[in-house]
Amino acid sequence: MSDTPSHAPVKSVRSSRIRGPQDFVGGLALVAIALFALWASSDLQGMRGFSFGAGTAPRMFAFLLLFLGAAVSLIGLLTDGPGLSTFHWRGPFFVSVAILAFAVAIRPLGLVITAFACFLIAALGTPETRWKETMIVGACLTLGCSLLFPYALGLPLQMFPRFMIQ
Amino acid sequence: MADLFSNLALGFGVALTPINLLLCLVGALVGTLVGVLPGIGTIATVAMLLPITFGLPPVGALIMLAGIYYGAQYGGSTTSILVNIPGEAGSVVTALDGFQMAKQGRAGPALAIAAIGSFFAGCVATVLIAVLGAPLTKLALAFGPAEYFSLMVLGLIFAVVLAKGSVLKAIAMIVFGLLLSMVGSDIETGASRMAFNIPELADGLGFATVAMGLFGFAEIIRNLDAGSESDRELVQQKVTGLMPTAKDLRDSAPAIMRGTVLGSILGILPGGGAVIASFAAYTLEKKISKHPERFGRGAIQGVAAPESANNAAAQTSFIPLLTLGIPPNAVMALMVGAMTIHGIVPGPQVMQKQPELVWGMIASMWVGNLMLLVINLPLVGIWVRLLRVPYRLMFPCIVIFCAIGIYSVNNAPVDVVLAGAFGLVGYWLIKHDFEPAPLLLGMVLGPLMEENLRRALLISRGDWSVFLTRPLSAVLMAIAAFLLVLAILPSLRKKRDEVFVESEN
Repeated sequence: MSDTPSHAPVKSVRSSRIRGPQDFVGGLALVAIALFALWASSDLQGMRGFSFGAGTAPRMFAFLLLFLGAAVSLIGLLTDGPGLSTFHWRGPFFVSVAILAFAVAIRPLGLVITAFACFLIAALGTPETRWKETMIVGACLTLGCSLLFPYALGLPLQMFPRFMIQ
Repeated sequence: MADLFSNLALGFGVALTPINLLLCLVGALVGTLVGVLPGIGTIATVAMLLPITFGLPPVGALIMLAGIYYGAQYGGSTTSILVNIPGEAGSVVTALDGFQMAKQGRAGPALAIAAIGSFFAGCVATVLIAVLGAPLTKLALAFGPAEYFSLMVLGLIFAVVLAKGSVLKAIAMIVFGLLLSMVGSDIETGASRMAFNIPELADGLGFATVAMGLFGFAEIIRNLDAGSESDRELVQQKVTGLMPTAKDLRDSAPAIMRGTVLGSILGILPGGGAVIASFAAYTLEKKISKHPERFGRGAIQGVAAPESANNAAAQTSFIPLLTLGIPPNAVMALMVGAMTIHGIVPGPQVMQKQPELVWGMIASMWVGNLMLLVINLPLVGIWVRLLRVPYRLMFPCIVIFCAIGIYSVNNAPVDVVLAGAFGLVGYWLIKHDFEPAPLLLGMVLGPLMEENLRRALLISRGDWSVFLTRPLSAVLMAIAAFLLVLAILPSLRKKRDEVFVESEN
């Protein structure tokens, strides 16, 4: 950007703008993942003679991803592309909380309580939820799942909280 | 030839036992049931329903999964015809003319022709699998590690070339998948890789877990973004008059033929599968039609051709999986995951050692297609009612169902958390226009590729040129390189984009 000084301000405005933010950020994230993988596999053994060590393939793929991520990001920097799309927080947040709650509660509380509670948490993910019908559907789903998984499919799932069984 | 008949006879012997018939029926029904739900694609359906097959014996589980697969695909086309929300990329083109027909009150014939076309394509594809199965297996047995590695490279390149969007980003996704597959213990040395001493990671990232996260949870989250209720435009009229007229049948018969041929070929190609087949078939029909202006306004050929093509492709994509052990697309990658859970390593050996498994599955495909034809048309009314269930009630059900499914695989809460994390990763990928399907393919092929690369280099004593000096491997590599160059060349890129733009105009 060190052409003639008279053009400098115009050009600097242009070049300071990232032309395809979506790819730029996406590529950078891949680079970060690759670097993380390189770090995580750094303690593994590499090539011994011409036989692969445990760390050879992971590092190979990580370097490849590093290179590809950088290329994606470079293209995002230099060519026009779509901007960042808007992320909504409500859906992802409540669905994630519901999944986490399920993971935490399934062992101590059993299927019935966990499924129903997590159903209600997940339902918070949209503002359109009407509670009365959600309760009814949640109850039906819980009933259905507690018949389907342990009985119809024969999967060993604990149904009720531990303290109630004892 | 005699071989072919004895094989098919063996297969039907397995498929027609009452228990397997029942599993096939249940699979097709449940697959359709979930596939009909708008916004849930084939991959998500298969991933979601994978855990319910774990308790079955291997043959039964695979028959049921295959049933779920084509059931889901059929369900997807029902949705696109009736609601104009294609559940999956494969039925995008079906929605173009199918929904127009539905609006004109011809939903019945549209659904019927889709079913008939699918059934015909299914019959042809079943025969094709039976015919090609044995010779390809012989070929596969001649493959050494170098050839296998080159074949997988070719498969991945195919997947990239045929995927939509940026070639570079698709390759990046494949490599990301390969990298993820490295987590867990090393097959040869047993060293723990990138597992951070988390015991649940010692065996690697569960395949079902990642698939459920990337396709189940991520889709749910993304659909929540869209403001689910606004764009649903359900055909409100009652679906009456299912049977197509004689003219409909005459019009669509050649389209079904062409779609079947095109789909069968594209299905065998690695990376192809149902999506590209339906796009290609629609484009072909429009090109050769005497009245191209009728397409997009309810032309019955526009329903018949892509539906036959995607069903043909869905089935012929079993060929590389069963004979070579290489999944050509993401759904087949899931099938590999399922087989591995049952202790079956897909590949030429399975065909020889467990013929009843392979042929039973092939025969059950034909049976399943027949069942779909028979059960789905009368059940259309139920599917329509299911479509009226609002998303606000549907999505928490799917969340819970997926969570229980993942948990039941290993009884491990950590798996549920991981799936949730991959759900967020998948959401992020979608938002940055990265396709998750190549990632899944990379993840399944990762360990296979590493193993064969290692062995090839060990045999050649570290000489990388082995991939180019062995003739078969060199040919495969040359095709891969050629395809990659073509994909990057601007002129072809334009054409390739046109195929995908077709859906928007």
